[in-house]
Amino acid sequence: MSHLDIGTLFEGFASSISLVREMFPPDFARWEKIPPLAMETIAIGFWGTILGMLISFPLGFLSAKNTSGNIVLYNISKGLVNFLRAIPDILYALLFVVSIGMGAVAGVLALAFSTIGLLSKFYAEAVESIDTKPVEAIEATGGHSLSVIRHAVLPQVFPLFMGYNLYALDHNIRAAMMLGLVGAGGLGVELFFQMRSFNYQKAAAIIVIMFVIITVIDRVSAYLRNRIIEGTFLNKQNRIKDFSLLSIIFIITILSLYFIPVSFKEIAHGMPRIWEFLNSMFPPDFSDISSYVKLMAETVGMGISGTFIAVLISVPMGMLSARNMAHRPLIYNLMKEIANFFRAMPELMFALIFVAAVGLGPFAGVLVIAIHTAGFLGKFYAEAIENVDPKPVEAVEATGARFIQRIRHSVFPQVMPLFNSYNLYILDRNIRASTVMGIVGAGGIGFDLVMSMKLFEYQKTATLILIILFTVMLVDWLSSYLRKKVV
Amino acid sequence: MVRVENMHKRFNGKAVLNGVNMSVHKGEAVALIGPSGSGKTTLIRAINGFVVPDSGKVTVGGKGINYRNKESLRQTRKKIGMIYQLFNLVERTSVLENVMAGALGRLDRGVDFISSTIGFFSRQERGKALEILGFVDIADKAYERVDKLSGGQKQRVAIARALMQEPELLLADEPIANLDPKTSSNILELLLKINMEKGITLITVLHHLDSVMDNFGRCLPLKTETSILTAKHAPLPKNASMTFMNLKGRLNAWQRKSAFYKAGNWIFRVVPFYRHSGHFLQDVPSGYRDAV
Ligand SMILES: Nc1ncnc2c1ncn2[C@@H]1O[C@H](COP(=O)(O)OP(=O)(O)O)[C@@H](O)[C@H]1O
Ligand SMILES: [Mg+2]
Repeated sequence: MSHLDIGTLFEGFASSISLVREMFPPDFARWEKIPPLAMETIAIGFWGTILGMLISFPLGFLSAKNTSGNIVLYNISKGLVNFLRAIPDILYALLFVVSIGMGAVAGVLALAFSTIGLLSKFYAEAVESIDTKPVEAIEATGGHSLSVIRHAVLPQVFPLFMGYNLYALDHNIRAAMMLGLVGAGGLGVELFFQMRSFNYQKAAAIIVIMFVIITVIDRVSAYLRNRIIEGTFLNKQNRIKDFSLLSIIFIITILSLYFIPVSFKEIAHGMPRIWEFLNSMFPPDFSDISSYVKLMAETVGMGISGTFIAVLISVPMGMLSARNMAHRPLIYNLMKEIANFFRAMPELMFALIFVAAVGLGPFAGVLVIAIHTAGFLGKFYAEAIENVDPKPVEAVEATGARFIQRIRHSVFPQVMPLFNSYNLYILDRNIRASTVMGIVGAGGIGFDLVMSMKLFEYQKTATLILIILFTVMLVDWLSSYLRKKVV
Repeated sequence: MVRVENMHKRFNGKAVLNGVNMSVHKGEAVALIGPSGSGKTTLIRAINGFVVPDSGKVTVGGKGINYRNKESLRQTRKKIGMIYQLFNLVERTSVLENVMAGALGRLDRGVDFISSTIGFFSRQERGKALEILGFVDIADKAYERVDKLSGGQKQRVAIARALMQEPELLLADEPIANLDPKTSSNILELLLKINMEKGITLITVLHHLDSVMDNFGRCLPLKTETSILTAKHAPLPKNASMTFMNLKGRLNAWQRKSAFYKAGNWIFRVVPFYRHSGHFLQDVPSGYRDAV
């Protein structure tokens, strides 16, 4: 990591750009293979979300302080949720592929597990923040605690839950695109294959399909979330539109089942294999621990340098995408779309491209993290800048200050705490992300993790997972502690 | 000091300023009052270029404002301090940092520009800011965050920021509209003190005639140089006079107090005291004194 300097950085971006040039125009020949894979991807995303939702529902209430009912149960559920949340989705996919075999079912289960970690926490937070007055009112009638939940808690949290579910769906569709990299079904398999065979134009065609699916689901989900938040979902004006959207989603969900070759016999057969697999991981093999710790340090370094570069890119990008800074719709809309593309596409997809462009190793991983999260930060920064209070900005302009002085002394002080909080959040997620970059050879501990599995050294796998878990949880804790301080 | 000639301004086809003429002499303190929507803010913002008039001419310190040229507009703004109803401070930062922002226009070249852009100010400038904070009577809050201050304290900080510019002209748009009566009169007193002691021309928009009457009346310095005005027994106009400006054109004749309340489409121009000019004085109608 020490050889990372401005020169190599620009070289890296330059060779990536020339690779991207080779991807044009996208080649849509052999098209007939793509639709079933696309449907499989959607199926994995939808059913992973649904399964995760079903389990998160009780788990959310159990891990919420005010509805858990039993302190021991509360602590156990909360611990479980935190544990599930710390493992990246692609890692779940790896574990399921190794234990129950390749295919979409492994993908669905992987997403279900990561969704449980995500949604249970959101659900619990929503339940903990409810208004307690209606709860007392129902309790006063002598109602059973389940009827309290049904009649006092559920009506309050339902819209929030729906919003989170849509968010999880959105997230899972992106994730499903990449599960194929480890054999858990979907479009990722084909993308991986085409990139490996240097068919960059064919790979580009798949990327285009991915982008279309992601964008459509992103827009629909954002539309429904807004409706739900505003409370105008299914009201008179939009009833037909909303209802038909819901029906389409329902039909896709059901139809997509056809693309998951679920055989309950196989799953039933696979369950003991999961147990066997988990068993073979014990006891963890700590013999190589010092080299693993070093690897983990390199991985964290990737996350930090990637975040740092992302911040450098995002400051000008955020300013140019902010309506109140760029003024010209052409500029800020274009910049917003660019940021959105980087943000929306899964980072393992960028990893495939950068590995092809700059070769295996952590440098590719740093570039991936930088580009992908520059999209996030660019969007967040732009929103923060658009929300600055214009009054002091005008006041400083009225003193005759130059443009850059105005930015520094009226915009900057207003957005800085928000920027810091976003940066910490992104740093946290990037350290998580850097642990899986190695799966496609983009550096870090993920590579050794995959290798240990390929070599059936599951006791080493266990150690690596423990190190990742420990680091991720530590960083998570540290980041939320610091975020509380800066805001 | 400030001359507005035949200014017209329409918003969405609606005439807001319709041929306004106004002249304010150097060192004068002038209040513009009138009902809401009569165009006071529009007029005052045209003086520092935040509103671009459709036609007409504004000169500040003898130099015409060029609304098209950003650089020349910036040079004009350097000499003009602006004070707002809602203070327009950066709430999250310290009082001192907000006051330092007033120096930015002056520090727009060379090393000063670079260091002020990074966020460093010379010891001299910081000393000056602290001195001004002392002058506006809030030196003890220099290192507090602005969002911890009361409204009156915030307005003092905003005034300090304007003074940091070393302005020749202070514009204030309803500087007391968000303050309680006691604080309001303190802030008005402060503005008049700045006008008197530093000789900075003051144009302030005030919403209520009452507060003008009360505050300006009470805080009138009894021992100004304008001894001809100290007709000892007349309450308000003893060293103050009033005239109002017609939106349709020019300065109008004096009116009775009752006329102020009936006024629909008028901006009143209140000249609380004189230091450099006396030409309004001759126009003070005897009927006006009776009315007060
Ligand atoms: N930027 C603007 N766009 C459209 N209309 C405006 C704008 N600024 C002011 N106006 C209109 O001009 C009229 C005068 O406004 P203003 O100068 O703020 O009055 P005052 O300060 O006396 O209350 C109002 O009717 C207001 O709605
Ligand atoms: Mg106004």
